[in-house]
Amino acid sequence: MSWKRSAIAFAAVVAALGANAQTATAGGRVTIGVTETIASYDPYADSVSLAYGIWCQVLGCLGVYDFSKSDYVGMLAESWEVDKADPTIWTFHLRHGLKRQNDGKELTADDVVFSFNRVNTDPASQQKQNVAPVKEMSAVDKYTVRVVTKEPTASLLEYLFDRFIITGKDLYEKYGANEADRKYLWGWGPYKLKELQIGQRIVLEKDSANPQVKPENPDTIIFTIMREPEQRVTALINKEIQVAEFIPPQLAQRVREAKNARLVESSSVEIMFLAMSPKYKPWDNVKLRQAVCYAINRDAIIKSILAGQADRLDGPIGPAQYSYDANYAKTNLYIPYDPAKAKELVKESGYTGEPVDLYTPVGRYIDDKEVTQAMIPMLNAVGINARLRTPEWATLWADVQKGKTAFYYMGRGSVVDPSPALSQYFETGGSPRIGLSDPSIDKALAAERVEFDPTSRKNELNVAFKAIEDAAPACFMWSHRMLHGISNTIEFQPDPTGRIFGTHIVVKQ
Amino acid sequence: MAVDVAVADAARPVRARRRFAIRPLLKPKIVLGGAIVLTLIVAGALAPWLAPFDPNAQNLDLALKPPQWLLGPHVLGTDAVGRDIFSRLFYGARVSLVIAVMVVLISGVIGVTLGAISGYFAGIVDFLIQKLVEVVWAFPPLLLAIAIMAFLGQGLRNLILALVMQRWISYCRVARGQALSLRTREFVDAARALGASNTRIIVRHIVPNLFQSAVVIGTFAMASAIISEAALSFLGLGVPPEIPTWGSMLADGRTYISTSWWLALFPGLCIFFTVLGINLLGDGLRDLLDPRLKRSGTGMG
Amino acid sequence: MAGYLLRRVIGTIPVILLITSLVFLLIHAAPGDPADLLLSDQATSQDIAEARHRWGLDQPFYVQYSRFIVNVLKGDFGTSFRYSDPVITVIGERLPATIELAIVSLLIAIALGLPLGVWAGAKPNSWADNLGSFFGFFGISMPNFWFGIMLILVVAGYLNWLPSSGRSTYGIARGSETGFYIVASLLAGNFLAAWDGVRHIILPAVALGTNMMGIIMRVTRSAVLEVMHEDFVRTARAKGVAESTVLWRHVLRNALVPVITVAGLELGTLLSGSIIVETVFAWPGSGSLLISAIESRDYPLITGTVIIYTLAFVAINFMIDILYGFVDPRIRFGK
Repeated sequence: MSWKRSAIAFAAVVAALGANAQTATAGGRVTIGVTETIASYDPYADSVSLAYGIWCQVLGCLGVYDFSKSDYVGMLAESWEVDKADPTIWTFHLRHGLKRQNDGKELTADDVVFSFNRVNTDPASQQKQNVAPVKEMSAVDKYTVRVVTKEPTASLLEYLFDRFIITGKDLYEKYGANEADRKYLWGWGPYKLKELQIGQRIVLEKDSANPQVKPENPDTIIFTIMREPEQRVTALINKEIQVAEFIPPQLAQRVREAKNARLVESSSVEIMFLAMSPKYKPWDNVKLRQAVCYAINRDAIIKSILAGQADRLDGPIGPAQYSYDANYAKTNLYIPYDPAKAKELVKESGYTGEPVDLYTPVGRYIDDKEVTQAMIPMLNAVGINARLRTPEWATLWADVQKGKTAFYYMGRGSVVDPSPALSQYFETGGSPRIGLSDPSIDKALAAERVEFDPTSRKNELNVAFKAIEDAAPACFMWSHRMLHGISNTIEFQPDPTGRIFGTHIVVKQ
Repeated sequence: MAVDVAVADAARPVRARRRFAIRPLLKPKIVLGGAIVLTLIVAGALAPWLAPFDPNAQNLDLALKPPQWLLGPHVLGTDAVGRDIFSRLFYGARVSLVIAVMVVLISGVIGVTLGAISGYFAGIVDFLIQKLVEVVWAFPPLLLAIAIMAFLGQGLRNLILALVMQRWISYCRVARGQALSLRTREFVDAARALGASNTRIIVRHIVPNLFQSAVVIGTFAMASAIISEAALSFLGLGVPPEIPTWGSMLADGRTYISTSWWLALFPGLCIFFTVLGINLLGDGLRDLLDPRLKRSGTGMG
Repeated sequence: MAGYLLRRVIGTIPVILLITSLVFLLIHAAPGDPADLLLSDQATSQDIAEARHRWGLDQPFYVQYSRFIVNVLKGDFGTSFRYSDPVITVIGERLPATIELAIVSLLIAIALGLPLGVWAGAKPNSWADNLGSFFGFFGISMPNFWFGIMLILVVAGYLNWLPSSGRSTYGIARGSETGFYIVASLLAGNFLAAWDGVRHIILPAVALGTNMMGIIMRVTRSAVLEVMHEDFVRTARAKGVAESTVLWRHVLRNALVPVITVAGLELGTLLSGSIIVETVFAWPGSGSLLISAIESRDYPLITGTVIIYTLAFVAINFMIDILYGFVDPRIRFGK
């Protein structure tokens, strides 16, 4: 008899303890399930989107791209201008009186210059490409930084904002890199770093003294690694987390149907494309490359496999990117699904039917294997004898980087201002990934790079887009819509870069 | 010839000559296991005729349809690009069968050969081969396969190679044991005195005694090969996508598991029942052929 | 005996070195460049070349290899490319999670497999036997990664009984997660944390331990079957000893020998099975660390983890051999 009673009591205790303690926002705590991790205490040693997002709000960035305004806004910097006489000289004016977390030291230009040097000299630095166009930085006075670029670079903010992390010179010099990074990651951002468990979780705490935070922003934010989408959705529904990053299209419905959460969509800054390298037969013939673009029924793939959660790209960029011109895209850059035309182009190209392999990563991009599977019969239908190959990512990437892959599906992330990405893939001497050399593209890209007037630049970019489409080294597919699962206990509109800022989250009371 | 017969008779362990009997074969384990394995073989062999659809035929309009059971053409539903799951299971059976049989045969031949040589010649040859066995055995199993697949790339041949790499050891052990115990017997000296070559002795006298152990090891090795192939496919290291395998179907279905459960459930069930059938069969055969092997639960002796 | 032990220990060293060399060779020969993979996709070729230089990858192969072997013999496993920390530290932080998982899986396997096996063996062909054998065959036939996915789907997803992944819930853990979470919490008197740890470990341990449970069940069954026919059992019964005592004290003790042997041998399979299960459940152990290290070609981390796994493997086999030799004197000196 007493056995049974103890058993019931035990079960009751078990049940009580089991009631998951993560009823979320208790005390303003928000837990976020993320797909990436920070691999090091050194803020310059990571280059993943998550790291930038976290370090920007803990340590501070000069500025960020504000998608709601479609323009760059300052964070640590208040304003900036390009010298009229010499467009390689930029001047950034820092905000006055920005007090650092914990010790209240003010941000000065010296810290910015120091950070620039550290990015370039830190042995573990993976962020050099973010300051690549900059020749030198110097402190003009306490709050003014002079930046000299190697060449006129209209898209400089694409490099420096969001990704150039500012750390304190004094802490580094006093404690040395190791200790400074492990114990003194104090910054000028609105959130303090409370805990960093490499590869597992990052815990941030609101710095109430910072003018950027509001009382309704969460007091504590926990970024916890959850690589599997299934895991994130389950955790969201179980109330273990309040934000589930990157929901794939097939799980969208499940999140929509959840009682305690909702699906929030936004555009993303990643563009998906098929690359064809003219260095290899049969892709050296422009007609065959163009044929591929007409052969793929992108709308059908978006509708069925991607459950409508992608925006077809007409031209290399979409609405989320800087300087997108919808009219121009519709009239000049749209390539319709036209298998008859594709067949004709294939014939004209003189393609002899030899097998071609389409390479795709698996699990790296949303439904990558599935969409490329669907492309194979489409290619076969117009006479291209295509086969799908799904090598392991390391192998594939090694080959792509060396320019050894002739035909592949790939994505390019972090595209806000398209200039760096286009240059990387399509300019002569960019990266070896495609190996295209087209003088009209080169000319157009060089022109837009030095054009500082936004309207003129937009036109120059359009010229570049058209040139790229005509040369067809790539067929631009779509840009995935970014889906987040958000608990009904908070208000949050995710940023298309995928970065999650505590100041954008409002905890409902 | 007569020499061989005489020698062989002397070499055979003292055991009652068995007449081929049906009754012992009717034990439930063997019947059930045998039935499952037979179904697998038939499904795989006759896949082109039994499967209602081409396993690679896509139809984006019919993607992710749930099982229609007997009410529609897509009995077990369709996958993300509209391919018929039921048909793919048949072809997957084919691949699993081929892989399992090839792995077992190849590893068996390699293992028995090396083991027999090792035990028969003893001395330095034995030492070297056994060191090789130790090294291969101590290598964490999955790792070796992953390394091979990552290095050599996708492909049926590479997959079989990766799976064979560690499975020949069990055969080697058993063969070596047999060879060691037999090499000192007088009949071997007698055979040698009569001019029989080493190869002949090994082949005619040592190998046949391994048959029963090999069968038992073989069935369990088949089961483990099927699971390993699934695991490798699951990690993305299997065969290229145009070859349907249960493992890759499982991997593909994983992202759809909570919304389109049929993608992962059916291949998983296939793997499970196939392995179960093979294990039952193997167990039953072992009970029948060599009760001495009952000691260990894994059939490794 | 001591001489035999020493010889065995010395004998394993070349084996481990050989394996390590093999792994080193394999990963360096495999396609994929760590610098390419770990740096951003916008890194310039100069950045990549610098990283390769920093990691010593631009040296000729024999230089890299000899440096590696010398370091390994010194006990220095190098610095992880990705985490910039010594490999030993990185693995050391994740290893307890794997060990914890392995131990709990083993406990589950024994707790279920042993009694089922004993009952089945004691009464062959009864319902106990059939039920037990069902579990036995289920265990050895079930692919653990599929089982894991199904468990997540049903138990965590539909039923919401247990968390779907990870090792602990933040806020309860209070910082002791990288060690032996459950035990440490118990020792500290933090029962809430210990319970949290238990809730997180159940599903992965069940997924991982099922295979072992099946094996233990079957081995126990056949061992018990054999022992049941021994003379001493009949004697005990004739003396009037209760049947359950006969079973659990006398029979089991004798049946345990082969069970321990096989269980020990299968521990290696458990270790490699944990690699996949950790991936499925996002369990922060050394197995999932290894998978991500392979994917990013983090050479020092790969070789370091493989060495540790191999050492564990070899150590377990060694101990089983000793145990076996201890128990059966015929084996002790022969071979």
